[in-house]
Amino acid sequence: MADAATLEPDVVESDRAVALVDCDIHPLMTPEMIAERLSPKWRRYYEQFGFRMPTLQHLYPRARGGGLRLDAWPDKPGLIPGSDPELMRRQHLDEYGIDFCVLIPFPVVDCYELPEFAADLCRASNDWIWEEWIESDARILSGFAVPHEYPDLALREFELRAQDPRWCQLNMPSHPQEPLGSRKYWPLYQAAADRGIPVGFHASGYVNHRGAGSPGYYLEEHVLLSAAVANQVQSLVLEGVFEAIPNLKVVMVEAGVAWATSLAWSLDAAWSQLRDSAPYLRRRPSEYMHDHVWFTSQPVEEPDDPEHFLQVLEHGNLLDRVMFATDYPHWDFDSPKMALPRVFSLEQRANIMAGNACRLYGLPGRVEAMQ
Amino acid sequence: MTALEGAIDCDVHCAPASFEDLAPYLSDFWLDYISDAAIRLTGNALQYPPGAPTTASEAARSSEGVPTPSTYEALRDAVLERARPRFAILNCMTMYESHRNSHYAAALARAVNDWLAATMLDRDDRLRASIVVSGIDVQGAVAEIERLAHDRRFVQILLAIRGDLAAGHPHYRPLYEAAASAELPVVLHAWGRTGYAPTPTGLTTTYLADYASNRQIVQAHLVSLVCEGLFESVPTLRIVFAECGFAWLPALLWRFDKDWKSLWREAPWVKERPSDYVKRHMRATTAPAQLPDDPRQVRELVDMIGAEWLVYSSDYPHDHGDQTDILLSALSTEERVAVLTGNAESLYGLAA
Repeated sequence: MADAATLEPDVVESDRAVALVDCDIHPLMTPEMIAERLSPKWRRYYEQFGFRMPTLQHLYPRARGGGLRLDAWPDKPGLIPGSDPELMRRQHLDEYGIDFCVLIPFPVVDCYELPEFAADLCRASNDWIWEEWIESDARILSGFAVPHEYPDLALREFELRAQDPRWCQLNMPSHPQEPLGSRKYWPLYQAAADRGIPVGFHASGYVNHRGAGSPGYYLEEHVLLSAAVANQVQSLVLEGVFEAIPNLKVVMVEAGVAWATSLAWSLDAAWSQLRDSAPYLRRRPSEYMHDHVWFTSQPVEEPDDPEHFLQVLEHGNLLDRVMFATDYPHWDFDSPKMALPRVFSLEQRANIMAGNACRLYGLPGRVEAMQ
Repeated sequence: MTALEGAIDCDVHCAPASFEDLAPYLSDFWLDYISDAAIRLTGNALQYPPGAPTTASEAARSSEGVPTPSTYEALRDAVLERARPRFAILNCMTMYESHRNSHYAAALARAVNDWLAATMLDRDDRLRASIVVSGIDVQGAVAEIERLAHDRRFVQILLAIRGDLAAGHPHYRPLYEAAASAELPVVLHAWGRTGYAPTPTGLTTTYLADYASNRQIVQAHLVSLVCEGLFESVPTLRIVFAECGFAWLPALLWRFDKDWKSLWREAPWVKERPSDYVKRHMRATTAPAQLPDDPRQVRELVDMIGAEWLVYSSDYPHDHGDQTDILLSALSTEERVAVLTGNAESLYGLAA
């Protein structure tokens, strides 16, 4: 990745208003911040019992620095990487000249709690993001959390947030309690589609390694997130979600992208034999995938021959569906200067670095209209 | 089908029609257990629904009542006399369905192997078979490998991909050591436990999703086998993935190699790049191929994978469409020979 030839950023057309959009940045609330913002009843509950949802450390110990960039620790007592908007702006948005970014706030993207506690947590997280992050910088947009296991409560939070264009996405974990295609979640998908914002599924949640047993190493777990997310794209397509909600757009965040090509091939091949098994589909699975599914790039796959990466994106018809992302402040950060191989045309590169995200999120118009 | 004449077919299915076929090889204790519990062989019906188009081609259906051959004559007429392979390797999935009782599993494995030898292998020099073992009872599996290793008509060890543990788990190590010392590859075949949800979020509602999930599950086994350092500790171990596709390989390895560069310290026994082990120690069967329509894309995919990684399989009686033809027509003459025969000759020590 970091050979000398890639150290210089590519020249991107200068007449483009927006040259770089980062579609995956993680704010992280400290436990104290969460407690402060909860209602008194649920604060007491939280202080006694904490979360039922497993955090990253419970799912699998991250092999390096707790999964966090060592240089992302704020120089302020009590803060952790992702909890200081000022450091993120200086170290990341300013450093790389990022025009816009989309936040996926942690830890409340996953929410498996009592219904009212889940709702209060999501409200607290969204309030924190609004006050401390979005209001502080015009480059910052964010997805918002909802108590996704309780669609009635989730829709209340949705209505509260989706009014403002700076909330540009409904965030969900890639692995909630039921498969993503489950009708349980359709009211949320319908609401997002009606409001013209995508649903972003972040590679997380309780990835229960069924069928093949659990991984023994974080190396294994991390590599296999792409296969775990492939299962969920499969579920969305085969359950007929995109047939039922034709204006739904979804983003698979932090699972890489190259795997999507062979997934589409395998689903098309299987569908050609087994179409009666998926009666809700009227077109080939790959067509639904292309029309409805976007991917953030990080952790971007790195073949020995970079041409292969371009070929795979072409094979999968993905060049207009990949959106650059860094995953700041996590250990496997992809640098805007170095992560993409130098095999793309200027136009292809510009689309991946910004254009595809601008079209999906309506940038920069979404923000300018507001100002 | 003449184009495939003389091929080595690395995945052909046969199965006993009922417990009556296996009765000569089971003790009275297990026959009573089976009849008292009213256990019957379902033909792995959840995994291969009898009516599903993928379960059997039209031709296979008309040749006899049950599509999976249970007699030598049926197998001969359907496979040996029709496609005319030089060798056909039999994978009998009968026992991988639902057992949890390790003693029963061991007895059933032994019975299926004896049935395979007497019913099929004794009848025709072109037939080879995988040794059926239980993944629950590893000591029993080792004993079964040792019991049959002298019989060179058994050319590999058969495990199913849907089980309790990732394939690299230390639980299985004695099995791999026994396989390696018998110079037999281990094949991880699609499907397995019927009671086991195939996805991280549970069961699938459609057969299509269940069928398509095998390609996700098998990737976990590949990664596990490498991460546990098995190819360092058992350096002659070879692994075959059957009926799980292969087009997923390049993207998986790009990610795996990249992550290994950062995380190798967690598994320092992985001394080479993951892709090096995969290319050297692993192979995959060709059906289902799960390929795109565009021949140029197929060609570029083959260049990414390398034709040496693939061994031909008809997967009889299953029918995955015309994908094998698409693959073969993308290969050079030399690559075709390798995929149809050469790679399997080296893998299984089957002389030309």
